[in-house]
Amino acid sequence: MSALAWVSLAGIAAIGGGCALAAAPGRLRAGLTLQACGAALLGVAGLLILVRGEQVGAHFTSTVGLAFGIDPLSGLFLTVLAITALPTLTFARDHLHGRPHAAGLAALTGLFLLSLAGVITARDVIGFLACWELMTLIPAAAILLSGRDRKVRSAVYSYVAITHLGGAGVWIAMLVLAQHGAIGDPSALAAAGTGVQTLVAVTALIGFGTKAGLVPLHSWLPRAHPVAPAHLSALMSGLMVKVALYGLIRVEFQWLGATPRWLGLTMLALGLLSALGGILWAVVQRQLKQLLAYSTIENTGIITLGLGASLLFAHAGDTTWAAIAFGAALFHVANHAIFKTLLFLGAGAIERAAGSLDLDELGGLLRRMPWTGGAMLIGSMAIAGLPPLSGFASEWLVLQSLLHVAFSSPLGVGLAAATAAAALAATAALALLCFAKVAGMALLGQPRRPECAAAEDPPAGMRGAMASLALMCGLLGLAPGLVLPTLAGLAPGGAPALARHAGLFIPGTGSYPAPAVAVAILSLTCLLSAARGRRRAAPSPVWACGQPAGEDLRWTSAGFAKPVQLVLDAVLRPHREVAVERSGGLVQGVVYTGEVPSLLAGALYEPTVRGGLRVAARARRLQSGNVRTYAAYLLVLVLSLLALVHWGALG
Amino acid sequence: MSFAATALQIAGVFLAPLLPGCIQTCKARLQGRRGTSPLQPYRMLARLWGKSSVDPEGTGLAYRAAPALVAACMLAAIAIVPVAGRAGALGLGSDALVLVGVLAIPRFALAAASWDSGSGFALMASARDLMIAVFAEALLVLSILLAALPAHSTALPAMSAAASGAQVWSGPAHWCGALAFALVLLVETGRQPIDNPDTHLELTMVHEGPLLEYAGRDLAMLVWAAAARHWVFIVLAADLYLPHAGGFPAATAWLIAGAAAVCVALALVETAQAKMRILQVPALLGAGCAIALSGAGLWIAGIGG
Repeated sequence: MSALAWVSLAGIAAIGGGCALAAAPGRLRAGLTLQACGAALLGVAGLLILVRGEQVGAHFTSTVGLAFGIDPLSGLFLTVLAITALPTLTFARDHLHGRPHAAGLAALTGLFLLSLAGVITARDVIGFLACWELMTLIPAAAILLSGRDRKVRSAVYSYVAITHLGGAGVWIAMLVLAQHGAIGDPSALAAAGTGVQTLVAVTALIGFGTKAGLVPLHSWLPRAHPVAPAHLSALMSGLMVKVALYGLIRVEFQWLGATPRWLGLTMLALGLLSALGGILWAVVQRQLKQLLAYSTIENTGIITLGLGASLLFAHAGDTTWAAIAFGAALFHVANHAIFKTLLFLGAGAIERAAGSLDLDELGGLLRRMPWTGGAMLIGSMAIAGLPPLSGFASEWLVLQSLLHVAFSSPLGVGLAAATAAAALAATAALALLCFAKVAGMALLGQPRRPECAAAEDPPAGMRGAMASLALMCGLLGLAPGLVLPTLAGLAPGGAPALARHAGLFIPGTGSYPAPAVAVAILSLTCLLSAARGRRRAAPSPVWACGQPAGEDLRWTSAGFAKPVQLVLDAVLRPHREVAVERSGGLVQGVVYTGEVPSLLAGALYEPTVRGGLRVAARARRLQSGNVRTYAAYLLVLVLSLLALVHWGALG
Repeated sequence: MSFAATALQIAGVFLAPLLPGCIQTCKARLQGRRGTSPLQPYRMLARLWGKSSVDPEGTGLAYRAAPALVAACMLAAIAIVPVAGRAGALGLGSDALVLVGVLAIPRFALAAASWDSGSGFALMASARDLMIAVFAEALLVLSILLAALPAHSTALPAMSAAASGAQVWSGPAHWCGALAFALVLLVETGRQPIDNPDTHLELTMVHEGPLLEYAGRDLAMLVWAAAARHWVFIVLAADLYLPHAGGFPAATAWLIAGAAAVCVALALVETAQAKMRILQVPALLGAGCAIALSGAGLWIAGIGG
């Protein structure tokens, strides 16, 4: 066995040991530290395998029998696992300390990481499906452990129900692949014919898409992610969703044996719907974690747009751009994992310090909590797609890919790509609105409650976790050109010849010299600030037409999103209720409640549930409880089987 | 040649305030007033530079850094946009989509500054600005796509070269793109019927709203940034969607003529057209998107030109 295999095994063992240690009384911090060390070892092994393009351990096999191994694509996702898990576990050391069920939560966190690493490294169908199921069930258990009120239980129930309904797609796809010996072998499925290929493509899209939170299969995500403890929300949004995309990439890109155009167009459509829908509903949320969960749907959509563009390029035979689009999607996978983890951890720190996640009850935290606030400000700017941070680089690449699809395609595909490009631009603008709201309401201005005025930064471990993630947003934004060639090299069509510069110099674009843009903007800002000088007149109150700008004039989350809500009224369909209290002909008070129902909440699943219940009611008539009826059923079964055997229908 | 192009880009930093000045003068003449000299914005900048800044009570870093950040981003944008179709040597590349990203930073900075001061008028205006930007950004990307289709590249010099000459105007696609870009120009320069740059009635402001609390050098930087926005988009219009010749000296002459024409056209629109209701702006921009998309469809189908 190679050294890297030993390193990864040591990582797995350390995480496992960390679980056991954390479950022991009084060993919470030591256990989480051991888990973090294990995650770091896994990340180092994954990164080295990715960079060197090696293959460690078993190859993919369609036979039954556990097999584990790491190839460069798994290496990338292990690296993402490490850069998400390391800060999260460091954060959890202080965050979980002194909480109820801390030991159990810490052990489940480690098990969750093991199941995620298992999905990424499994090389056979049994190991993959087993880890896949564990990956779904462990967070459900952890959420139930941390809180058991009605809302939480209902969220967990819908999470488990919906992901299992959709998860059936994963089972079908994987088992059909294994049946044709096509796991790791694209030629096998190509030989099986287009019918089987279509079946695998569609079921994988439904199965992995449900877990990745693609609209319209997403409705569990904005319910389940916010109810988990902060560090688990970070892992679920930052990592679990990415692991689902890993499965999608494996099946649709590596094992399908074909790149049908309809698949590329379907992914473009799903990506567009998820990106726009996710961010639009994020804009109208006022609970921070719910907002972040919706924004996860948006980012899954952006990644799917990149993947769809890559498939369309591959179909057209343009391997260079197919690889660039594929690399862009993977780059956004890494970037979103980093800033979404940062934002969820920040939300955890804010909840701990200010006792609320309602944006209308926060404010002024940047001054009180400079570490948390500063990191969250950087994360917000990165996720809003502002240069020179990391989010812009990957969104720029995805947008370039979409435009280049339009440059060289037949009419239908070209129009679809143009529409997707326009939708992505609108998504970016909505993300800016959304995260300007987050930064503005939580971090800037005046505290809206006394608890915010007294909030304090968390202990050093939690601060360091957030600061390191913020630093990574900056670094990846400064040197996207060093990362892209490696990621584009993972494309199934082969690696394009891309020069390794810090900036992105791609033929067909006007180039994005990221370091130069960063230096220019930062140095000019400093210069202009210096030129502005420190001379200023006495501070004055904010202008509010002459009246004192008191609390009742304070702007709210709903107010900031109101223009968008009014304009897109037909899409968002908000409920409004205004109750006017009168006594003696005088208005005593006005109570306003308004909310936007969740995105396509009942559209897909409610008919399914109703249909399921109706079928169950019918089926109950069969269960009469009468022994003779059951004997008749058996007789009918045996007779029909005999008849089938007689006609040779059973082979 | 590259030296001349770079010099022209740097000149843009100083020439930018001339554009809103010319528009104001032109508008006054059209309305039968004598109006101010086109140099009035320079006088205003000089006056503001000599005055003290005022920070409202309780504001912090986000409020104070915003004007410098906004002006820095506009400087970067000026360095990205090639003048008369020639890329300069300022090292920020010349990609149209990078320009879109750089222009998004000022919006975020001003929205953050509005939250920091907590001023209701500033927040009302920046919420509207961000809402309009959702549609404007889609329209901007589509009009970039239409100009990039003949060039097969999003590099602005290549797009400008592909849009030169009379041939591109023979098909409908370029006309659709020009129409879409005209709407973008109205939005981004904050002109009527979408926004009224002259209004100081708090309830109707869009671009002026977040500037309400600023004074002195802060305000000077923001006023310059608004003028720089005119420069960036008018030069971009001359590069992509106004008739121009391929050669550099000739293209410079076309640029001057085009900029003058755009200034007069903006003044005409402002004179003839009242400000529209804010909630109708998305419908207008959405119509623009539909036109741009059909233009793209016509081009891809091969009827474009």
